[in-house]
Amino acid sequence: MALHVPKAPGFSQMLKEGARHFSGLEEAVFRNIAACKEFVNTIKTAYGPYGMNKIIINHIDKLFVTNDAATIVKELEIEHPAAKVLVLASNMQEEEVGDGTNFVLILAGTLLEEALPLLKMGMTPADIIEGYELALKKALEVLKTLTCEEIKDPRDEAAVLKAVRSSVMSKQFGYEDFLGNLITKACISILPEETTFNVDNVRIQKISGSSILSSETVLGMVFKRGVEGEITKMSGAKVVVYTCPFDIATTETKGTVLIKTAAELHSFSSGEESQLESQITAIKNAGVNVVVAGGKISDIALHFLNKAGLMAVRLQSKFDIRRLCKVTGAVPLPILTPPSKEELGYADSVYIDEIGDNSIVVFKLDGKESRISTIIVRGATENYMDDIERAIDDGVNTFKLITRDGHMVPGGGAVEAELAKQVRDYSETIPGLERYAAAKFAHSLTIFPKILAESSGLQARTALQQLYEGHRTPEGVNLGINIQGEDDKLIIDCHEAGILDCLSLKEWGLKFATMAACTVLRIDQIIMAKRAGGPSAKPPAQPDDD
Amino acid sequence: MAAITLLNPKAEVVRKTEALSMNQSAAKGLQDVMKTNLGPRGTMKMLVSGAGDIKITKDGNVLLKEMQIQHPTASLIARTSTAMDDITGDGTTSTVLLIAELLKKADNYIIEGVHPRLITEGFTVACKHAMEVLDSMKKTVSLDDKETLIAVARTALNTKVESKVAEVLTQICVEAVQAIKLPDKPLDLHMIEIMTMQSRLESETRLVRGLVLDHGSRHPNMPKKLTNAYILTCNVSLEFEKTEINSGFFYKSAQEREKLVASEREFIELRVAKIIALKKSVCDGTDKGFVVINQKGIDPVSLDMLAREGIMALRRAKRRNMERLTLACGGVAMNSLDDLTEDCLGRAGLVYEHVLGETKYTFVSDCPNPHSVTVLVHGPTSYAITQIQDALRDGLRAVKNAVEDGGVLPGGGAVELKLRHELKKVAEKTKEKYRVGIEAFCDALLVIPKTLAMNSGFNTQEVITQLDYDAKENDSIGLDLQTGKSMIPTDLGILDNYSVKKQYIASSVIVASNLLLVDEVMRAGMSSLKG
Repeated sequence: MALHVPKAPGFSQMLKEGARHFSGLEEAVFRNIAACKEFVNTIKTAYGPYGMNKIIINHIDKLFVTNDAATIVKELEIEHPAAKVLVLASNMQEEEVGDGTNFVLILAGTLLEEALPLLKMGMTPADIIEGYELALKKALEVLKTLTCEEIKDPRDEAAVLKAVRSSVMSKQFGYEDFLGNLITKACISILPEETTFNVDNVRIQKISGSSILSSETVLGMVFKRGVEGEITKMSGAKVVVYTCPFDIATTETKGTVLIKTAAELHSFSSGEESQLESQITAIKNAGVNVVVAGGKISDIALHFLNKAGLMAVRLQSKFDIRRLCKVTGAVPLPILTPPSKEELGYADSVYIDEIGDNSIVVFKLDGKESRISTIIVRGATENYMDDIERAIDDGVNTFKLITRDGHMVPGGGAVEAELAKQVRDYSETIPGLERYAAAKFAHSLTIFPKILAESSGLQARTALQQLYEGHRTPEGVNLGINIQGEDDKLIIDCHEAGILDCLSLKEWGLKFATMAACTVLRIDQIIMAKRAGGPSAKPPAQPDDD
Repeated sequence: MAAITLLNPKAEVVRKTEALSMNQSAAKGLQDVMKTNLGPRGTMKMLVSGAGDIKITKDGNVLLKEMQIQHPTASLIARTSTAMDDITGDGTTSTVLLIAELLKKADNYIIEGVHPRLITEGFTVACKHAMEVLDSMKKTVSLDDKETLIAVARTALNTKVESKVAEVLTQICVEAVQAIKLPDKPLDLHMIEIMTMQSRLESETRLVRGLVLDHGSRHPNMPKKLTNAYILTCNVSLEFEKTEINSGFFYKSAQEREKLVASEREFIELRVAKIIALKKSVCDGTDKGFVVINQKGIDPVSLDMLAREGIMALRRAKRRNMERLTLACGGVAMNSLDDLTEDCLGRAGLVYEHVLGETKYTFVSDCPNPHSVTVLVHGPTSYAITQIQDALRDGLRAVKNAVEDGGVLPGGGAVELKLRHELKKVAEKTKEKYRVGIEAFCDALLVIPKTLAMNSGFNTQEVITQLDYDAKENDSIGLDLQTGKSMIPTDLGILDNYSVKKQYIASSVIVASNLLLVDEVMRAGMSSLKG
């Protein structure tokens, strides 16, 4: 009848078994900072054009080779609560801006790391947070003055290319001009006059084989499937789009055919056929030569379609249908009726093409304007193409930012170095304890030029020294790290070199990173419930012996 | 050996002083955790659920609910506090703190040999007097007194979220409550919808004078934005519904089937035609828009018919939204489409669709005289959104309480200090033995200003002594958390709810008295249990 062994008195004995409880600076704050630091160290090496790739194998054994931070954190499934806060902030950056996720993670992590000595010296988290927020405010102010170029007309190909280029460069170094061109072309051609630019309107279709240099931009839509009927090419296509299956109409209520004699049976099937034929003829008479259906096209219908010389395409995705309607200007019809003139869509040519051993259907619009454009990505492996796709996504998002706000700041660590300098100067004017935190904020920003210099194998110290020296002069505002530099030219004027970043990208990045760092600092207690049940994770695969 | 162990050898038992000290240590443990939460300068706690979800909060109520407490005494205290939150919407942390402090102060006397019964008697007397003092301190407030209401909301919200966000939420809470108040009817906070959008920053949370629905129109060609719109709210099926009984068609030829298909649809088409006719009669020749919001389904064909007429149609709206819609825009929710007139329609200045990632939202806003409003919560992360949602709930409750109580009390520890001095006077006049209870109560009250001072990083002893001294001279003195000096809370707009204070003192006394009177804790040992 043994009584329970009495647990140590205090709070933890009151919790459910398995729950963990950490409180105070030592247990909660320092541990959080340590975890975030480790996490950021992992991801740090992937920053910049010369950032290293990582191989990630996720829980379903899918392989990723990338240096895109968003993908890395998504597939890593971070569990540590504090690190998760950083991940959430970077996810937000991904959603809000679409690029610069690594920037957020590294900055937030560095801010936390820099807070550590201050905490150890006895500053309270509240003071540090206040200092960081002051510094952020100042940094945002300064950032606006650092604009070195403004893209006023997002249709100006040369100007846009420069911005898109730098974004792609950090993901696919070496192909930035080629991909930049594809992206710029795809984006500008679909830029609407009035409404906002929608990232979703640049489609990416990956087809394996050949090399990246055979990738191309097509105005219109490309679907990775064949046609249903015999006709495989149609120019000057008049398109009708049905969301329903292309078949004989049926009632919602169960129907039974009541046949009493052989003659009735005969007349029934022939009646069915002739009805369908008349329907298809009516459709043809409305001027249609391409039929797109959202559901199955029955064999008998296909027969008559072939007979009438209509091209038939079946699309399975509801969204593909919507997009196609957007491209061609067709109105989707819910029932099988001949379309009116307004309901017809138009494409200059619709044809089957074969790339590699895949057949694709292309709805192509000639001329320069379209509503949707598709970039066909070629590449040797799936992984490689996925990585290119991510690079293109970032490029397209950059274009979106430009349409909203065309202010550009110099890249290559230039803007961070300048911000660091100005925030540091500012920190010296703050009277209270916050000044130390603000100075740390400034110092955190210098991590970016440092990483750039280190990852590109320069003599980091010399390069940084030259960089700071340059920034001390008023004309050195745009100086950044020259990642391709030799010993004598470690720094470069990023504005002249055409290495530009979007202002809003840095703006949101600073905001989200500071927010995440402050959130982590504010926490002084962590209460973790026992992990919920469910299948336990598979033990990691044993490494090979050799 | 206790008698019970003879009856059931597996039973566990704790007796006498041991029982009391168990209760005390539980209360103290809970106090230790909750202490740092109190007040605007309290710190945050991070809760990680079993599934790994993060919650960051300093709301005592949320904390107690999520902590999974198993200790019997601690869970009793936790439950009292959360029940308190259910009734008044605030004051959980204070309740926990006061209960623990009452037990702690009582212990000093019990060690000296005072019977717990005497102390609880003293508590009860003190509590009765405290209620009278509270009544005398009450400052009246009415619904139109926006300034005071804002002060109340701000005080409540500042203890839940950081002050920048609190400022935004304060305005929202007050305006929302003022909007939904109908004369001669009790306030129904359900008429304030809280809709969340995970984007941008917390400070962009705003009040929409109308309704935000979390789904969009289901047809790509429907208008995305309508100004000056009529709203038809209805609960009529606009899709084919199968009969309840098993039925079927018999037909002989394709032509017959074609006819059946058409007649099957006709029934629904007639209904849609009625809506279209109404639209034409009210909108033709004007620039007005027309929106149909249906609780039941609308099939693709009907959607298509409506789209051709430039009508925006939403299907499968939530039931609770139907009630809110009529309150927000006016009009009547229709259950049949037979007698449609213009009077059945509601009005909204602007109706538009907003797409965020994959989710569509429909805003029915700029309603002329809305009695139901929506708070649109923005936040970059899910934990930030939950934090705001919890805070909003408390803020709204605070405003509601203030309106319903018809009065507010000064905050910043002023109530506790005042009570302490009034009750001291009572104690001095008492000659019965239970006087010790009143004295213990007086001392315990100091826990609130003490904790406030501690969380703000002041020298607690120094600040409290000064404050206690000042309070003797002046009527309502509270602690200024910025300077550590005393201040007059009413001047600075730091106001607490009357009902919250009343409730927290009353329930703390009851729970503390109950716990003090426990002299034996038993646990029936069941053979199935481990240990």
